[in-house]
Amino acid sequence: MHDSIIDRSKEITILELLDRVLTKGVIITGDVVISVAGIDLIYLGVKLMLSSVETMEQLKAGKPILKKIAYQNTYEVQP
Amino acid sequence: MAILIYSLIFIKDRQAQLNDQLITMNGLNGTNLVAISLGEITAVVSEIKKIELVANQANAIRFAEIIDQLDQQFTLLPMRFGSIVDTLDTVSQMLKTNYQGFIKNLVEVENKVEFGLKIYCDPEKLKEELRLKSESESEILDDSNTEHSVSVYRVYVNKKLKAHRLEQKLLSYIEGVTAEFSEIIGQWDAKSKIKKMVTSAKVVDAVFLINRAGKVDLVRSIEGLQAKYPRLSFVLTGPWPPYNFVDVTLK
Repeated sequence: MHDSIIDRSKEITILELLDRVLTKGVIITGDVVISVAGIDLIYLGVKLMLSSVETMEQLKAGKPILKKIAYQNTYEVQP
Repeated sequence: MAILIYSLIFIKDRQAQLNDQLITMNGLNGTNLVAISLGEITAVVSEIKKIELVANQANAIRFAEIIDQLDQQFTLLPMRFGSIVDTLDTVSQMLKTNYQGFIKNLVEVENKVEFGLKIYCDPEKLKEELRLKSESESEILDDSNTEHSVSVYRVYVNKKLKAHRLEQKLLSYIEGVTAEFSEIIGQWDAKSKIKKMVTSAKVVDAVFLINRAGKVDLVRSIEGLQAKYPRLSFVLTGPWPPYNFVDVTLK
């Protein structure tokens, strides 16, 4: 019903999703984070992904309405 | 091999339902999902080769999808991407050691879902609109036609005063929007975290937890707010698992 009048944005949803799954939720700390060749793999990966998230955020700041592609979790209300 | 943990489910007496669902699902890289239970809590996990846990966008999204599927049916605490322990025994030990903390968090999010709302504006356009509105209402006095206008000092002070008043009007405008939004989510007695004026363009960044059944009313309310403030852009996302309302750090 509401979905017909509310646009959806895949990009914004992915941005929101990554922000949540990478930086929120139950955290395991201690010696269980995987390292490869002395490099903290998870930490490294998260930093790389956050960099792309920030880029998307900057793009979005200037143009809050991006593409309108159906995706289940986003409801974007336009003026 | 390591054990990747996806979520902690408030299982109560629905273990059979979860087992049926897990049979139809796959973990990261197509692995089987396994339930490790203690009392009323079940951890959903899968085996994973350490080298296969590449922290890229595709895996993060897949990880979130698995949690989202489980969240459709069960109250759960989502784990952060990359939550790995060495053995299944470690998972059991984790549940035992942190049991009360998990239960406390699960009770707080039971039958609730998270939504996010970001409100954007073009600050310059909005200021211009507020300026025009103010001038039409004669709220900002224009002294250009008075004898004072010959004074350079007076012109300068007037200009600064106008700019200051516009800033105040913008802040007041945003405060008004935020107050209305807070009132809307207040009807669900929602837990919320609201940041204002995050940047000049992002004026509100909020996450909040409401009952699952409240989605339709929430969307309708935000639509109403959007219609009332056409110069702002409202981006509502959800429903999400309660990522922002988990207060557990495992040791």
